[in-house]
Amino acid sequence: MTVVTAGWVCLLSPLAAVALLVLGGNWLTRRQAAWLSTLSTAVSFGAALVAFFGILGEDVDQRAHYSTAWTWLSAGQYDFGLQILVDQLAVFQMLVISGIGALIVWYAVGYMDESDEERRFFAYMSLFVFSMLLLVESGNFLLLLAGWGMVGLCSYLLIGYDHHRPAAIAAAKKAFIMNAFGDATVVLALFLLVQHTGTLQYSQVFAQAQSLGQNGWVINLIALGLLGGALAKSAQIPIHTWLPDAMEGPTPVSALIHAATMVTAGVYLIVRTSPLFEQAPTVQDLAAGLGAATLLVAGLVALVQTDIKRVIAYSTMSQIGYMFLAVGIGAYADGMFHLMTHAFFKALLFLSAGIVIHALAGEQAMGRMRGIGGLMPYAKWTFLVGSLSLVGIPPFAGFFSKDDIIASALDGGDYGYVLWLAGIAGAFLTGLYTFRLYFMVFRGQPEPAVRAAYHSHHGREGPWTMLLPVGVLAIGAVVSGWVQFDDLWDRVSEFLDPVAPPLVTPSATQDAVTSVCAVGLGLIGIGVAWAIYGSRRMAVPKVPAVARVLEHKLYFDELYHWLFERPADLVSRGLYAFVELPLVAGSLQAVGLTTREAAEGVSEVQTGFVRSYVLAFTAAVGVLAIVFIAAH
Amino acid sequence: MSGPNVVWYLCVAAGLFSIGALGVLLRRSPLIVLLSLEIMLNGGNLALIALARQQGNADGQIFALAVMAVAASEVVVGLGLIVAIGRRRLALDVDQLTRLRG
Repeated sequence: MTVVTAGWVCLLSPLAAVALLVLGGNWLTRRQAAWLSTLSTAVSFGAALVAFFGILGEDVDQRAHYSTAWTWLSAGQYDFGLQILVDQLAVFQMLVISGIGALIVWYAVGYMDESDEERRFFAYMSLFVFSMLLLVESGNFLLLLAGWGMVGLCSYLLIGYDHHRPAAIAAAKKAFIMNAFGDATVVLALFLLVQHTGTLQYSQVFAQAQSLGQNGWVINLIALGLLGGALAKSAQIPIHTWLPDAMEGPTPVSALIHAATMVTAGVYLIVRTSPLFEQAPTVQDLAAGLGAATLLVAGLVALVQTDIKRVIAYSTMSQIGYMFLAVGIGAYADGMFHLMTHAFFKALLFLSAGIVIHALAGEQAMGRMRGIGGLMPYAKWTFLVGSLSLVGIPPFAGFFSKDDIIASALDGGDYGYVLWLAGIAGAFLTGLYTFRLYFMVFRGQPEPAVRAAYHSHHGREGPWTMLLPVGVLAIGAVVSGWVQFDDLWDRVSEFLDPVAPPLVTPSATQDAVTSVCAVGLGLIGIGVAWAIYGSRRMAVPKVPAVARVLEHKLYFDELYHWLFERPADLVSRGLYAFVELPLVAGSLQAVGLTTREAAEGVSEVQTGFVRSYVLAFTAAVGVLAIVFIAAH
Repeated sequence: MSGPNVVWYLCVAAGLFSIGALGVLLRRSPLIVLLSLEIMLNGGNLALIALARQQGNADGQIFALAVMAVAASEVVVGLGLIVAIGRRRLALDVDQLTRLRG
């Protein structure tokens, strides 16, 4: 199988599963539907592996493979093919998406066994995997946009999967609308690209990046448009408020879409279009700054959340903030490396939290699962592995990728120092909020109420289909970082650098200093969490003003409420009172009333005497006849 | 072309039409009204046929056939209505059937 064939198989296998699930309907049992979806994603992963090893065996400058199935759209002088591009970056993402995706779909076989609409769930999941693969394998911006929109749709469908709960529907709509804003800015950027380059194919556009760079306005607007889409999809400030609400979806959805793959699409987009962003350095700095702001804000807000999945969601925002910081300063391979390790440990955190949620029949409040670790050792230990990896404690995966990013900031000039400080502060916050969660939920022995809830439901941790994927992810959350250790062993950078050459290369000293600082602050964070929530030696600090601000998530929802929702509400009320009622409704009513009055007048003529009608007819015919004859 | 001038035929047709129209206007029995309607239609038919023959064109004759078919259907409906009115013991007088007044 050639690299290109493998790319197509990887892309189309989940689509085939969607078709079978939709057409099969009730012919497939729920179990068969679940396994079909798992199998198709596993086939994708196999094909991605074939493509990966195929690419490894090729010369470095021969590794980009374009393949066009047919001309998809043709408008005037423009032709857009149904074209895929398989290169190092695409293969890297294909491996993450299909690999992590297969594990999560497999986990969902057990997790969703109490749902009565399993087939719909697995059809959506497979459709999502297909859309995400389409996004990363597209060979031109138009197909990228198609994948971009479709992952947004799947996210909407899956957040609102539990359509009986109004909260889930509201969260789905919120996610969709905020993502639609990002989609719109991407579309505007693509319009500008078509206008100024006449094409949307990656290689052709990037070949003209230099000449585009001559026109500061245009390139800045294009980069801003792409950045807008990336911010919305990746839930970065200021378009981030949808992600915590998206935790209304089932846990495998949170793990797959809102942690491992879709929300990192913004990072992929910036890396993929790095030739354009490098021509607009201001916008790229903006991306790094917003990433740094997000990682701090999300880390702070995570400190006061009480829903286990929301804590992990804020941690996801924070970690994607690190990735944005990386790609914003030009450390592309480091950003992608963190994307991969993050996919492992964040999926692990969600899925082991999911084991607890599943065992407690959907309970997500941390207060009602205190000390559950005493009953569920498997969930406890896997969660601990994920937490350590998230905080970046060596030798867990997060250590290798996160420190790379923070160290790269040191090579970014004065602005880089600010970003470095943010990253280091983020490391402390990460340790604090992660282990606040861990100690609150897993430490000690369960209270009687928790124990009763646990035994009244399943009374066990979960079926093997849930436990096994979590185990695989736990191993991944340890070893996936070992493929790169800066300056000694740079396999990820070597692989990805030809696609997006880095702009910053930190020295060995900078690496060492960063590692010591980040790990030290992470450990201090864990220590503080232990003192407050583990051993309870320190009381929870009470600063009501700060707590209130954090509990309101820095008032972003309120801000948008006053900035967009209220004015829209006022305008529509005004339009209703001053336009709709008097003009539209009023005119329609007047037409009706006038017709009725006229009809009442005319109906006097209708006497009911048949002979009077006949007289009128005859008289009319007589008049006509006279006129006719007279005219001759 | 033999026979009388076409004008005579038209005069007869106009006469038939007028007799029928007067019957419809003046008589109140629905049965007679129906009969008068038939006379009007036949007046029209006669004019059609006469003119068609003068023009040497069969179209008018075909129209006359169609009119006869319509007239037959109309009589069926009309007589049915009259029978229905009679069965309900209503007065057979078109001036008293004024339910459709607006």
